[in-house]
Amino acid sequence: MTRSVVVKVTDVHKSYQDFVALKGVSFELHAGQTMALLGHNGAGKSSLIKMILGLIQPSLGEIQVYGNTLNASQQHVQLDIGYLPENVSFYEKLSGYEVLSYFAALKGVNREKVLQILVEFGLADAQHRLVKTYSKGMRQRLGFAQAILSEPRLILLDEPTVGLDPLASEFMYRKINELKAKGCAVIICTHELSLVEGNVDFALIVGQGKVLAQGSLNELKQASNLKIKIKSAALEQHHQHLNGFQSCYFQGCLHVDYGIKADVIRHITQHLGIYDFSLAEPSLNDIYQYYINQLEGQHG
Amino acid sequence: MASIFATMPYSPVWIIASKEIKDGLRNRWVSFITLIFMALSLSVTFAGSAVSGALVLPELPVLISSLSTIAVFIIPLTAILISYDSFVGEEESGTLLLLLSYPLTRKQIIAGKLLGHSIMMAFTSLLGFGITALLLLILGKDYPVGITVCVFSQFILSSILLAMTFILIGYVVSLRSTEKARAIGLLLFVWFLFVLIYDLVLLALLVADLSFMTPELINVLIAFNPTDIYRAINLVAVGAEDLQGTLSLIAQSGLGLSVLYGLLIVWIIGLSILALSVFKCKKL
Ligand SMILES: Nc1ncnc2c1ncn2[C@@H]1O[C@H](COP(=O)(O)OP(=O)(O)OP(=O)(O)O)[C@@H](O)[C@H]1O
Ligand SMILES: [Mg+2]
Repeated sequence: MTRSVVVKVTDVHKSYQDFVALKGVSFELHAGQTMALLGHNGAGKSSLIKMILGLIQPSLGEIQVYGNTLNASQQHVQLDIGYLPENVSFYEKLSGYEVLSYFAALKGVNREKVLQILVEFGLADAQHRLVKTYSKGMRQRLGFAQAILSEPRLILLDEPTVGLDPLASEFMYRKINELKAKGCAVIICTHELSLVEGNVDFALIVGQGKVLAQGSLNELKQASNLKIKIKSAALEQHHQHLNGFQSCYFQGCLHVDYGIKADVIRHITQHLGIYDFSLAEPSLNDIYQYYINQLEGQHG
Repeated sequence: MASIFATMPYSPVWIIASKEIKDGLRNRWVSFITLIFMALSLSVTFAGSAVSGALVLPELPVLISSLSTIAVFIIPLTAILISYDSFVGEEESGTLLLLLSYPLTRKQIIAGKLLGHSIMMAFTSLLGFGITALLLLILGKDYPVGITVCVFSQFILSSILLAMTFILIGYVVSLRSTEKARAIGLLLFVWFLFVLIYDLVLLALLVADLSFMTPELINVLIAFNPTDIYRAINLVAVGAEDLQGTLSLIAQSGLGLSVLYGLLIVWIIGLSILALSVFKCKKL
């Protein structure tokens, strides 16, 4: 099944005066795909999102959204994009309902939809209170509700789970997965790796403006060559029968490459008869740290 | 005409304008100043009666000249208070980026805000002058209705135009500021300059009767300050050329009403263009 390309970023560079924030970023995002945009503070994530929105222009390279090169005059494209900026606190003197109605009106969304989404996001009780009195998480929920109000085909979320309690984050990702199932493309820029892991199709890791790695979680595991840890009490007795894997056994665990995971598991189950073992795959956090450490290694 | 009204609530300019009005009505400073404005306007008009115990009302030219002296302070100040955080505030709360990601042009954003803020200022001047005018018509038997209504309408119209110039000055400063406090600080300075310093200097020059102060130069000096154009409009409109005092010198500038209104409109158009170009160059 080929899905249409929603965002196509080709070799994008961005400089602010003499500071180079992004150096050659490329990726494609298709309808129904979710992508995590990861990187340290100041890596250039928000700049990339702003460029996809057409708020700032790339210094080099090209960005296409729905096949159009976006600039301010392309309103039909903007109508079909939902955006949650980082650190948005909204209009203090308006109520939650008024804020949402305002943004709904600007996108031609009707009142019923506003009321419905307020209920869905658990803001119905607080809808007539001034936003000034909202907690950080409530504002964040309001922001997310704002982003998906018009049911856009592309959603850009800049740190959506900041300040959210665990259940609220879970709700947000559930919602993201629902939208994905409807064919929506989503880019999530975040520092909360454990939350985003398992909720995205692929990740793009940027560091100091460069793409350090990109691909699905499995591809990243393979590419980073981080070891899988296989742990079992029975391994201790059998470790002389581990054939070629003996050297990988230390600290009570087998440390094997992701690529030979299947071979090793076949060996210990079929030849050694060990079925009682635990498998610790590298997490997104491990992968992220691996690439960031590598970057720091390069720079001394 | 009907079709314009039918589509109006859905036009982005109108949506932004109504949000600004809602926001502005909840701004305590603005309500406070509007009340002060109303109180001052009433007290200038009826203070004479309070002193003497009987209904003593000033003549229309005298009244308008005192009212315009008050308005020239209050209207720009209110306009600044309404507009100073229009952009710097939205930037701080993260909504400026959001608005720009919406299917809106920068022109529509400025036009929407300007419309909303101008309506608020129209409301303020209507309260400030309208009630005074109404009371005058009810209580004062000597005021010809036609002329009074005409003079006060003129007053309200020019006040709105004056307010618009200061609202736009507020936008320009707000667009260029990175902090609210800086924006209001700078704007108060601008206000002080236009409303007090410039006028003091201008009046001093007028009184000093210097040889190089040709009428043309005076007209140019008036044209360069919207508050002086405003004063001139209201003094000319009421025929205050014969009044005593330095203010009347402005009224003798010889500029016709339509030229004066034209000058205010030039200010508004010029500042709109400036605000838009500052907005377009703004770093996000
Ligand atoms: N308008 C600007 N002028 C100059 N430098 C800028 C500007 N905007 C961003 N930068 C710089 O570009 C770099 C990337 O910024 P960006 O906001 O994209 O980072 P980020 O990855 O979103 O970081 P964070 O995780 O902290 O949100 C930073 O070093 C930042 O200082
Ligand atoms: Mg950021």
